[in-house]
Amino acid sequence: MSEKTVLLQDTTAGSTTGTSDFFGVFKAALRESDLADNVRLVRVADMGVYNQGVVMTILPENITYANVEAHDIKRIIGVTLKHGNPVKDLLYQPKFRQMRLVLKNCGRLDPGSIDDYIAADGYRALLKAVEQKTPDEVIAELKASGLRGRGGGGYSTGLKWQFTREAAGELKYVICNADEGDPGAYMDRSVLEGNPHSVIEGMLLAGYAIGSSQGFFYIRAEYPLAIERVQKALDQARERGLLGNHILGSDFSMDIEIRLGAGAFVCGEETALIASIEGKRGTPVPRPPYPSVRGLWGMPTCINNVETLANVAPILLHGADWFAGIGTQTSKGTKVFALTGKVRNSGLVEVPMGTTLREIVFDIGGGIASGRAFKAVQTGGPSGGVIPEKYLDTPVDYDNLQKLGSIMGSGGMIVMDECDCMVDIAKFYIKFCVDESCGKCAPCRIGGYQILNILEGITQGRGTLQDLDRLILIARAMKMGSLCGLGQTAANPVISTLAYFEDEYREHIVNRRCPARKCRALLEFNIIRHLCKKCGLCARACPEKAITGDREHGYSIDTEKCIHCGVCFDVCKFSAVERI
Amino acid sequence: MAALTGNDFDAIKAKVQGGAKNWIKVGMSTCGIAAGAGKTYRVLEDELSKQGHPVSLLTCGCLGMCYAEPLVEVCIEGLPRVVYCRVSEECAREIVRGHVMGRKLLQDYILAMHYEEAFS
Repeated sequence: MSEKTVLLQDTTAGSTTGTSDFFGVFKAALRESDLADNVRLVRVADMGVYNQGVVMTILPENITYANVEAHDIKRIIGVTLKHGNPVKDLLYQPKFRQMRLVLKNCGRLDPGSIDDYIAADGYRALLKAVEQKTPDEVIAELKASGLRGRGGGGYSTGLKWQFTREAAGELKYVICNADEGDPGAYMDRSVLEGNPHSVIEGMLLAGYAIGSSQGFFYIRAEYPLAIERVQKALDQARERGLLGNHILGSDFSMDIEIRLGAGAFVCGEETALIASIEGKRGTPVPRPPYPSVRGLWGMPTCINNVETLANVAPILLHGADWFAGIGTQTSKGTKVFALTGKVRNSGLVEVPMGTTLREIVFDIGGGIASGRAFKAVQTGGPSGGVIPEKYLDTPVDYDNLQKLGSIMGSGGMIVMDECDCMVDIAKFYIKFCVDESCGKCAPCRIGGYQILNILEGITQGRGTLQDLDRLILIARAMKMGSLCGLGQTAANPVISTLAYFEDEYREHIVNRRCPARKCRALLEFNIIRHLCKKCGLCARACPEKAITGDREHGYSIDTEKCIHCGVCFDVCKFSAVERI
Repeated sequence: MAALTGNDFDAIKAKVQGGAKNWIKVGMSTCGIAAGAGKTYRVLEDELSKQGHPVSLLTCGCLGMCYAEPLVEVCIEGLPRVVYCRVSEECAREIVRGHVMGRKLLQDYILAMHYEEAFS
């Protein structure tokens, strides 16, 4: 009999000993059947399947069973392990919710080896383009694929290329926007670090299509490893004649250089980014004219995000129809999300457009790590909004997220549970925008600061109900009057938290209470006598010496002296300090 | 190095695919390194040289499973190809001693992955 491997895990939530127990029973059954030497029984750390009881995968047949009970073992041994047949009623098909297109080769190739990339059919799309396709055909293919910008705007990439191609200019430029600045988003970093050649190939194809001979990577300086790997990849590409003159023996010539961003969020905005590359201060200018008409040094410029460019080569290699077959009516292909926050499996997920938020957060992400209740998911970074639980079944695409008052953005997805205060979240994002506002236009510079002041007042217990109207008023003014995307969208987190969680704002204002127990100025701390073990840890930790008492009589908090810092709550090992 | 032409693609592919049959790959992007992949790599390197087994030690980018870093993928002929997660120093040594030398899969460290590839 050939050797078999059984991978197993008890996926029941909260089960810590189930896997080991089942392992023992299975092992004994194998010994009884004289199979102990032919079957490799392995406990795995994570099956990627949740709450399906004991799950096992049998190799090499790759048969997966779920909800296996001890009395099923005999059948599994008899039918599958001895004869290689499946036990039909136990079969389980793990759902492939993720689809890897951009990330396909990340984590598989050596990013430092151009040969690895070529062996994975890299640069074949470029070869196909320069040998068989005219630039117009490349653009037509891209337009037909329905690819839209992955940086947040969602504009048709093919159209953008066409406008740049048609614009008059003796020189044209391609820029890769790798100034990824949204809090909690790092998809682009992973692509640049894991598969830099895929982005370079996308840029070369863009250059070929629009008629450019010079490209720039604009990478934020906070990504040193990404910069190092992109530089190495560029050097290798140059060495192999993929950059420079007469690429792959054709008439197409192009070179690419790196420019570093110096840590300004606004430089992710395309006109500010262009100013930054030109060596000027990174502030936006009004559009139109769009960069596709007048961009870098006044020349037509095509700016695409990292993930967008990484999509280009597969589209040209496998065809527009193939790509257009993935996703929804209006949004094609896949999207990479950086799933972070209170979720169990934080990381990068790539799903076809149209996957629901519930599938992303609960099926792929494994749900809330602490087991607490889900509250909302924030998408789109500081320009986006929150989406509450009732909309979790919305299929994710550009248009649906916009309808919900959020945006796709670059792909940050922050999961929040009941301990996250929505006023506090809005304050965090507006604070971010106040810090990052370049100060050029008044609505963004002053409006953001005023919103921050109002939110600060609400979380401190100084809010009034008129504040809510004032917030909306300022938010609208910022949206209409700001010069660039940063200011126009900066108030979105405020608008969307107000739309879905107005009760929470009111609770802060009317009852001076924070339902999530987050806003410390609104909390009263109290020691619960019957839980207190009189250890005195809180009294020693209190910076204001507001906790008095002794180890015999117990401790109490002097509310006059208390500064609401919460240290006592944090240090108590017996949950004897309550927050009211 | 000579400039690449259309004729070189297949040769490079054949060369890479005909390369090492036994290999260990460590995810070495910022996320992996932050979780200790640098140390994991050095321990694997050290243990492999001690044991003297001809296994290629490679690096790769991020698989996207940040919660389970450092990630190490092991391919040894005749054994299923597996990904180990949260590979500590101890686990790294055990990968070489147990998996590579002992030809046994390690208990409690395997991460199963379920995703579809958009193209092959």
